[in-house]
Amino acid sequence: MQPENFYYDNKIVRNFGIATIVWGIIGMTVGLLVAIQMYAPGANLHNQFTTFGRIRPLHTNAVIFAFVGNAIFMGVYYSLQRLLKARMFSDALSKIHFWGWQLIIVSAVITLPLGLTTSHEYAELEWPIDIAITIIWVVFGINMFGTIFKRRERHLYVAIWFYIATFVTIAVLHIVNSVELPVGAFKSYMVYAGVQDALVQWWYGHNAVAFFLTTPYLGMMYYFLPKMANRPVYSYKLSILHFWALIFIYIWAGPHHLLYTSLPGWAQSLGVAFSIMLIAPSWGGMINGLLTLRGAWDKVRDDVNLKFMVVALTAYGMATFEGPMLSLKQINGIAHFSDWIVAHVHVGALGWNGFLTFAILYWIIPRIYKTELFSKKLASFHFWAGTLGIIFYAVPMYWAGFTQSLMLKEFNPDGMLKYPNFLESTLQILPMHMMRSVGGAIYLLGVIVMGYNLYRTMRQGSLVANEGAQAMPLEPAHTLAKESTFHRTLERRPIQLMVLALITILVGSVIELMPTMTISSNVPTIASVKPYTPLELQGRDIYIREGCSNCHSQTIRPFRSETERYGEYSKAGEFVYDHPFLWGSKRTGPDLARIGGKYGNAWHYNHMMDPRLMSPGSIMPEYSWLLTQKLDTTTTIAKINGMRKLGVPYAAGYENIANQDLDKQAKEIAANLYADKIEVKSDKEIVAIIAYLQRLGTDIKANKTATK
Amino acid sequence: MKKLLLIPMLAFVLPAMAEAEEKPISTGDLQNYVAYAAIMGMLLLFIIALLVVLRALKVMTKVMLRQQQGYTHAEIAAELNPEQPKKVKNELWLKALSLKPMSQEKSLLIEHDYDGIQELDNPTPAWFMWLFYGTIGFGLAYLAVYHVFGVGQLQDAEYVTEVAQADSAKKVYLARAGEQVDENTVKLVADAGVIDAGKGIFTQHCAACHGAEGQGVVGPNLTDVYWLHGGNINDVFKTIKYGVAAKGMPTWEKQLSPKQISDVSNYILSLKGTNPPNPKAPQGDELKDDTSAGRTASN
Repeated sequence: MQPENFYYDNKIVRNFGIATIVWGIIGMTVGLLVAIQMYAPGANLHNQFTTFGRIRPLHTNAVIFAFVGNAIFMGVYYSLQRLLKARMFSDALSKIHFWGWQLIIVSAVITLPLGLTTSHEYAELEWPIDIAITIIWVVFGINMFGTIFKRRERHLYVAIWFYIATFVTIAVLHIVNSVELPVGAFKSYMVYAGVQDALVQWWYGHNAVAFFLTTPYLGMMYYFLPKMANRPVYSYKLSILHFWALIFIYIWAGPHHLLYTSLPGWAQSLGVAFSIMLIAPSWGGMINGLLTLRGAWDKVRDDVNLKFMVVALTAYGMATFEGPMLSLKQINGIAHFSDWIVAHVHVGALGWNGFLTFAILYWIIPRIYKTELFSKKLASFHFWAGTLGIIFYAVPMYWAGFTQSLMLKEFNPDGMLKYPNFLESTLQILPMHMMRSVGGAIYLLGVIVMGYNLYRTMRQGSLVANEGAQAMPLEPAHTLAKESTFHRTLERRPIQLMVLALITILVGSVIELMPTMTISSNVPTIASVKPYTPLELQGRDIYIREGCSNCHSQTIRPFRSETERYGEYSKAGEFVYDHPFLWGSKRTGPDLARIGGKYGNAWHYNHMMDPRLMSPGSIMPEYSWLLTQKLDTTTTIAKINGMRKLGVPYAAGYENIANQDLDKQAKEIAANLYADKIEVKSDKEIVAIIAYLQRLGTDIKANKTATK
Repeated sequence: MKKLLLIPMLAFVLPAMAEAEEKPISTGDLQNYVAYAAIMGMLLLFIIALLVVLRALKVMTKVMLRQQQGYTHAEIAAELNPEQPKKVKNELWLKALSLKPMSQEKSLLIEHDYDGIQELDNPTPAWFMWLFYGTIGFGLAYLAVYHVFGVGQLQDAEYVTEVAQADSAKKVYLARAGEQVDENTVKLVADAGVIDAGKGIFTQHCAACHGAEGQGVVGPNLTDVYWLHGGNINDVFKTIKYGVAAKGMPTWEKQLSPKQISDVSNYILSLKGTNPPNPKAPQGDELKDDTSAGRTASN
């Protein structure tokens, strides 16, 4: 046999690399802006398109899917070709993948500030974009498997197992979590409601962390770390064990995001148990990485890439230990809804994903440009700025999380809450939030310096768009000797490997999701819970549009400190018409599950116009545009029809008279406001949102007073 | 890097915090926490100062050796870092982590390589396997405790226990403190201390809707003789305590103690006839003079 000559496609790697840097800077800048809005509400630029509720999803989407997403594709396209000794399957598909993905991001940048959102965290994009994501993801899959099929390397290296698991699992997660019924060009309702929707969302949300932020990065770690350190991987056996254990166990852990909610107890406990079991499989990746550096620690001292790698692995180890601890219910009771979680997430995101991405960028760019890095000093500066940035970010946030949670739980001996006004705890942690934004700014500065450094590196070299390589073609399958172990055999069979990975992740998914969907006893119904009126439904969609659930939860946990503050704890049956659920995951402001009837309409009107009128010192942005914008009632028919299709019991033909009911209720609210000297036309959006807020939690309230 | 250690440290404090949650922390405890933090900070600062001093001493030694004793660089280096016998510790360390010595590495290399990357045939470390088995054991035990043997309380039962404990603690406290007052037992008083306390509460909670001087904004005027829900002390107490949902008056029962509601009720009634500027037009029924009668009676 003769060795074959072929070329690696470096241009696509370069393109994804540039996209990583550009979107990284944009995403983090938006992050800095939202961080500042947490203590200076005026930083919303007095504009609905740049207000927290709409651009916080923009920040998360930009850093996860644009920054990390492009980095994954950069790393995968670089390492896959080399590990398989083959050029990417199709240059055209590579191009479609690249431009398609950028287009998806651009559409996110446009639609999210417009308030077009499903409200599912990390899956906010509306249905047309969901379809585009599916198509592009399939393009990526075809391109990857096409390359695998024409490989010149019989066995698949551990990095590729992780890439394959990433591909199948993300496909499953995205599709299941995006089953929504369109009721307009950019408006849809989730098919699942309430508790079921919450479970699906956090099964997705948790595993987006697992299979978008973790498995592809572990794969890249397995390629780039041994390359950078020029050392063999510590243990092949450990790779096998932690790969399969990780993907099997990770998928079960989602319910730990829903502890102390109305999710059935068995599902919560499964989430906790599997979260604890996740420690060792997660750490397997870290120790395999760190022990690979055995005998190369002297290099870490001078090599900035390895420094980034070591901090990334350490941050990964810390975050994956903290995560299981946070899922213990005693700790979760304090940490959930607080800044602690924000700190936890950012140790992972800034440390693990950020630093690993930077190491890879500093390593790849000079290589594909056939040159040296422009400045090692600047890279070293970036390393220290990044590390300091993480510390200045995380420490104040941990502090803020403890402080606020403990304040909210504190009682006086006479049985009254010590801080009955939520706002007191908010004001207490403002200094920590200011420090956090300083930490974030330092980190961002480092990234900008990296951008400059790599730009100069590209300028001084020239891109080797097609890098020549040589390898022997694959020997025919029938000439192969029998492998010594089952796993060695599996490594030769990509399709079997993919199917096995798919089965592995489906086990936990099916066991947790199916009973909640199908067995009615898991969601006990409550007779007094009725569907929303048309006006309330429209108001709810405004609530979704403005992203209120980014700061306000709608689920009261069974703690005395919460039932005293907010009222009776939330029951599963209260949410059966909530397509989608709006429980939220963070309480920057108080819970709203039972806000209905707590204040008068006039209070809400004034509060929306300027929150500081009613709550001096509040950090909530003003929503003055709700006072002037006219409610779009042309969508009512489609919305009622859509809800009915999803099982909400609106009477047949109700859609035709829905707008009359809507008008009637709106006029009542306007008249009520008029009695308080507030003149507002009944067709404004504010009226709808007041109607919705006044409805929240009242179904069960009525029930309670009746039995009392 | 040193500072990074703070983060795992915080993670270890967590279980301690979880316990702290059971009994609400008092200001005394809070001060203790602050003091601990201050002590920790000082100790840290102390360590940093010591390190700086150590470094300075080293540099000074070098300078003195060179300039006064005429040593060369190499001699100084030898003097400062004498060769140490090979540490036995290292072996213990390797054993604990179940690592094979680096000298054996060659024999562990798996022949195959991927783009130049080789793998070692190291076993999975024993401590790692024990960690894994341990967590699996924990997971199974956790499920058994809560769902098989029913020893652990699930959240609904946990809540009932929490409230019951708090209720009995509260009863004991209130019986001792003699603070039990409700809409039937509340008394009208003109004590300056009470009125002052009531004013503070009013400014904090009521002024947003009723105006700083009780003249009425969103909520009604509280300084005139017209009342929507009754104007004697018992009625006012009741309105504040339970609220009037239909009119947008919130319930204050959860936010203010009975004593506080009584104080603020007294303060409100003390506003009668103060005639602040920009009063809101009267709402409700006129109350004919029995407030002052009530006051006399109670005095």
